[in-house]
Amino acid sequence: MSAFADLAPGAKAIAAPRTASASPLLGALCVGVVAIMLFPLLMCFSASIKTAQEASAVPPHYWPSALSVENYLKVFHYQASLPVYLANSFAVAALTILLCLGLGTPAAYGLARFPVPAKEFVFLVLLSSLMVPYQALLTPLYIMAASLGLANTYLGLAIVHTVVQLPFSVYLLRNSFEETPRELEEAGIVDGCNSLQLLRWIFLPAAAPALITVTLFAFIASWNEFIAALIFMNKETAFTIPIMLVGVRQGHFGAIDWGALQAGVVVSIFPCLAIYLLLQRHYVSGFLSGAIK
Amino acid sequence: MGRANWIRGGALIAALAASSIAGSAFAAENLTMWVRASGANAATHLVDLWNSGHADKITLTVIPDNQVVSKLATGVKAGETPDVISFDLIYMPDFMRAGFLIDITDQMKADPNFAKVAPAFTNLATYKDRIYGTGFTPDVSILVYNKDLFRKAGLDPDKPPKTLDQIHEAAKKIRALGDDIYGFYFSGSCPGCNIFTTSPMMVASGAKILPRGADEEPLDGAGVKQVLQLFRDMWTEGLIPKSAQADNGANFVANFKTGKIGVQGAGGFLISDMKKDAPNLDFGIAFLPGAKEGQASAFVGGDVVAIPKGSKHADIALQFIKWELTDEAQLEGLAKNNILPSRVDLADNKYFQSDPRLVTTAKAVAIGYVPWVFHFNDMVNSDSSPWIQMIEAAVFDGKVDEAIAAAKAKMKEIASD
Amino acid sequence: MNRTRSGYVGLLYATPALLFVAAFVLYPLLQLFLTSLTNSSLLGGSEYIGWRNYLRAYRDATFWRALIFTCKYTLIITPILMILGYLAALLTLSAKRFGKFTRGVVFLPVVIGLGSSSFLWFWLFDEQVGLVNKLLKDLHVIAQPIVWFVDADLGLAAVTASIVWKVVGFGMILFVAALQAIGDDVNEAALIDGASYWRRIAHIALPLTWRTILLTTLVSAIGSMLAFDQFYIMTAGGPESQTFTSVYWIYQNSFIYFKQGYGAALSVILMAIILTGSALQLFLMRRGQRA
Repeated sequence: MSAFADLAPGAKAIAAPRTASASPLLGALCVGVVAIMLFPLLMCFSASIKTAQEASAVPPHYWPSALSVENYLKVFHYQASLPVYLANSFAVAALTILLCLGLGTPAAYGLARFPVPAKEFVFLVLLSSLMVPYQALLTPLYIMAASLGLANTYLGLAIVHTVVQLPFSVYLLRNSFEETPRELEEAGIVDGCNSLQLLRWIFLPAAAPALITVTLFAFIASWNEFIAALIFMNKETAFTIPIMLVGVRQGHFGAIDWGALQAGVVVSIFPCLAIYLLLQRHYVSGFLSGAIK
Repeated sequence: MGRANWIRGGALIAALAASSIAGSAFAAENLTMWVRASGANAATHLVDLWNSGHADKITLTVIPDNQVVSKLATGVKAGETPDVISFDLIYMPDFMRAGFLIDITDQMKADPNFAKVAPAFTNLATYKDRIYGTGFTPDVSILVYNKDLFRKAGLDPDKPPKTLDQIHEAAKKIRALGDDIYGFYFSGSCPGCNIFTTSPMMVASGAKILPRGADEEPLDGAGVKQVLQLFRDMWTEGLIPKSAQADNGANFVANFKTGKIGVQGAGGFLISDMKKDAPNLDFGIAFLPGAKEGQASAFVGGDVVAIPKGSKHADIALQFIKWELTDEAQLEGLAKNNILPSRVDLADNKYFQSDPRLVTTAKAVAIGYVPWVFHFNDMVNSDSSPWIQMIEAAVFDGKVDEAIAAAKAKMKEIASD
Repeated sequence: MNRTRSGYVGLLYATPALLFVAAFVLYPLLQLFLTSLTNSSLLGGSEYIGWRNYLRAYRDATFWRALIFTCKYTLIITPILMILGYLAALLTLSAKRFGKFTRGVVFLPVVIGLGSSSFLWFWLFDEQVGLVNKLLKDLHVIAQPIVWFVDADLGLAAVTASIVWKVVGFGMILFVAALQAIGDDVNEAALIDGASYWRRIAHIALPLTWRTILLTTLVSAIGSMLAFDQFYIMTAGGPESQTFTSVYWIYQNSFIYFKQGYGAALSVILMAIILTGSALQLFLMRRGQRA
C-alpha cells in the first residue's frame, strides 16, 4: 500500500486545482516552503563545521570561512565517548519499540475486533497517560523502579518511554485493525483459524504499515527523551545521547559552546533522519491505514 | 574525649593502613563519582591523577549542572547513590541539613592539610559543628579588564579600577573609543553570574546579601544600592551593550573574548579559556572592588567534595578526599592545569609563577566570601528568584529602591520556610 | 460466535496493556495524589497536611498567571498549527511536481527531538550569535537587531515559531491521510456540479475530514497545555516570570524549590483542567457528529 504513488483518485480530484496555470504558482509555493523548513537545519549544519570560535562569533555569518571538524571531535570524545551513548540510546529505543508493539498490538486487536464490554472506557484508560505531565510521575516511577531493581537499566527507562508512547501506538493500531476488511477475517474464520491465528496471519500483515509507523515514532520518542534518562541512569557509561548533548555544550554559568551544541544536534538528528528517509513510504502508509478516522 | 575516641581513631587508621597495604592483594575496587558538568574538566584532572597512582579506580559520571540536586535527592530516596560526589558548594547547607552526606569530622580534623583549606570552604561544609566535606575544584570571581582598550583610552593598563567609581570612569572613557566598543558588561538575566560577580562588589562595600535564617536581614547595607545604582547609571549612559539585558549566561564572557568590552566581572576559569580562545588579547585581573579604596571581595565558588549516604566504598572515598588535599594533588592535579587549589598556603606556587594573574586569582580565594544559606536555588539561582528580579527591575527599569525592598521581602519569606 | 464470550476474549488481549498502564501510570498517579496531600520535600521529610497545598495553589498568583499564559499559548498556536497543517496537506496533494518532496521536507522536523529543536531555535533567535536577526537585517525588515527574549510577547512569538516549524508536519500528515480517504463518488458529483477549488474544499473536504480535524486539534491542544521544554530552554520563564507555563511552574516548585507535595497538587489541578477541557471538546464533537 504505497501512499504516494497511487493517491486515491478521490483525493486527487478534491485537491486538484481547476486551471493548469495554477501549477507554476504551486511549484513556487513548494519551493518557498521547502526553503523555510530547511533553513534552520542548514544553518545548524553550517555552524557545526565552523571552528568553535567562529560558531560563537558576534555578529554571526551564514557560512563558515574555514571548515573544521573540531566540534564533532569534541562531541565524539566527550566523557564516555559517542559510541557508548549511541549504543545505550539504541538499546533503550529497541526495548521501547518491543514494549509498545508487544503491549499495543494485542490491546488494539482486542479493542478493534471484539465486542469488549465498556470498550470506549478501556480505550480511554489506555490513552490516559496522554493527559499527564510525565515529569510529575518521574519520582514515584523511579522509586518503584529502584525497588524492582530496574534503576540504571535499559528496561527501566524503556518502561517510562513506553508509558509516553503507548497511547499513540494503541490509537494507531486500533484504527488500522478496524480498517481491515471483513472479508479477510471471514475467510480466515472459514479456514478454521482461532483469534490468535487470525491476528498472526491476517491482521498483522494487513496492518504492517501501521506497525512500522508505531516503530518509527517509538524510536524517535525514546531516542530524544532526556529527563527520565537522566534520573534513571546513574553511570556515565549508561547515559543516552540527550544527556551527552546537555553536557557537551555546557560551560560555566550557562555559557554555551555553540559549535559543540550544533554538532551534537546534527549527530543526534542523524539516525532519526536516516531511518525516516529510508522508510518514508511506510510513514504515510501507516497513517493512511491507521489514522483515517 | 578519652579512650573511646582513641580506639575509634586507631581502628580507623589501622583499617586504612591495612587497606592501603593490602590494596594490591585484594581485588581493586571501582568507585563511581558524580560531578557536575561545569566542574567536569577540573575533576577529570584530579581523578586521572588518582587513578594513575592507585589500585582502586574512580569513574566519573557527569551530571548537567541544574540536575545535580534532583538526581542526588531521588537517588538517596531510592537508595541509588554514588560513592563520592562533587557538586556546587552552594548546595552544602541543604544537603547537610537533609542528612544526605556522611559525617567526616574526626578524620578531617586529624588531617594536617585540612587546616590549610580556605576558610570559606570549611565554613560552608560545617553544620552544627560537624564537617561533611571540603573544597575540591574551587573557582573565584575577579574583575577582568582589557589592557589594550585601557591603553587606547589613555588609562594606565597596570592600574585596574579599585573602586566602583573608578569602574564607571574607565567604562566611560572606553565607550568613547568607538561605536561597537563598550565600557562594561554583565549578563542581565543570569542569576548565577550575578551572584558570582556582582554580589562581591556589594559585599566589599559592606553589605550582607543572603540571610541564614528568618531572623537575619537580607540585602542589608548601603552597598546593595550603590552597586545597583552604578549598573543603572552605566546602562542609561549606554556603556553596556543592549544585548546584556536578555543574556541568561549563554554569552557571559563571549563578548569580552571578542575584545569589545573594557571591564567586567568573571571567574578564574576565564584565564585558561582566554589562552585557548583569545590568546592575543592582553587582559588583566584584579579583585572586585567596593565603594571605597581598599575594599575588595570575591565569591568563592566551584565544587566541594563529599560522601553521600549509601556510598558503598566510604572508606576509599575518604582516602580520596584526604589525598586531594595533599601537595601532590593540589599542585600536580590542580595548579599545573591552571585550576585554583583549595589550600590557601599553596596560592603562590611554582606553576602560578609564570602568570601573576593566577596568583592574584588564587589570593582572591582568601579574601572571598560564600553565603551559608538554605534554599539558595529559591533565593538566587532559579529563573524567578528575587535576586535576579531585583537586578532586572533596578538596572533595566530604574526602580532601584522598590526592587531592593521587594527582594528583601521575598527572601525573608523564603528563609522562614 | 457467542458474542459475550468473544467480548471477554478481546478484553484478554487488552490485559497486558491494561496491567502495564495500571502499574506504571495509574499507580504512580495515585502516589502523586497522595503526595499532594503532604508537605513532602525533595530533601526528605513528609507530613500529612490535607488540602493545604490546594488552598495554597488557590492563592498562588504565579500559578494562575502561568495557567493563563499556557492557555494563551495554546489558543494562539493550535489554530496556526491546524490551518497551516491543512494548507500544507492541500498544497502537497495538489502540486504535481514538488508535492511529494515538499511533504517529506515539511515532515522532517518532526523526527528531531524537542530539546534539540528548542536549542537550535534558541541559537537562531539569540540576539548576539543568532541568524534570525541577521536575516531580518539582510532583508531590510529591521534596522536594529531585536532582543527577542527580553519581551514576553516577542519571546512567545519566537517559541511559537520554533514549535510551528517542528510540529506542523505532524498535522499535515494526518490531514493528508484524511483527505485521501474521501471517496470517488463524492468528488465526481462535485466536479460535475462545476464547483470551484475552494468551494470544493469548504463544502466537501472540510466536512468529510471533520473528525480528524477535531481529534488532531484536541491532541495538539493537550500537548500545548503540557508545554515545558521549549520555554525552559528558550525563555527560562522570563522576563520576570512572564513566560512560565503550568508544567514549568510545577517543575520549579518540585525540583528547584524542593516542594514535591505542592508540585504534586499543582499537577493534579492541571490534569483536572485538561480532563475537563478534553471531555468538553469530545462531547461537542459527538454532538456535531449526530447533527
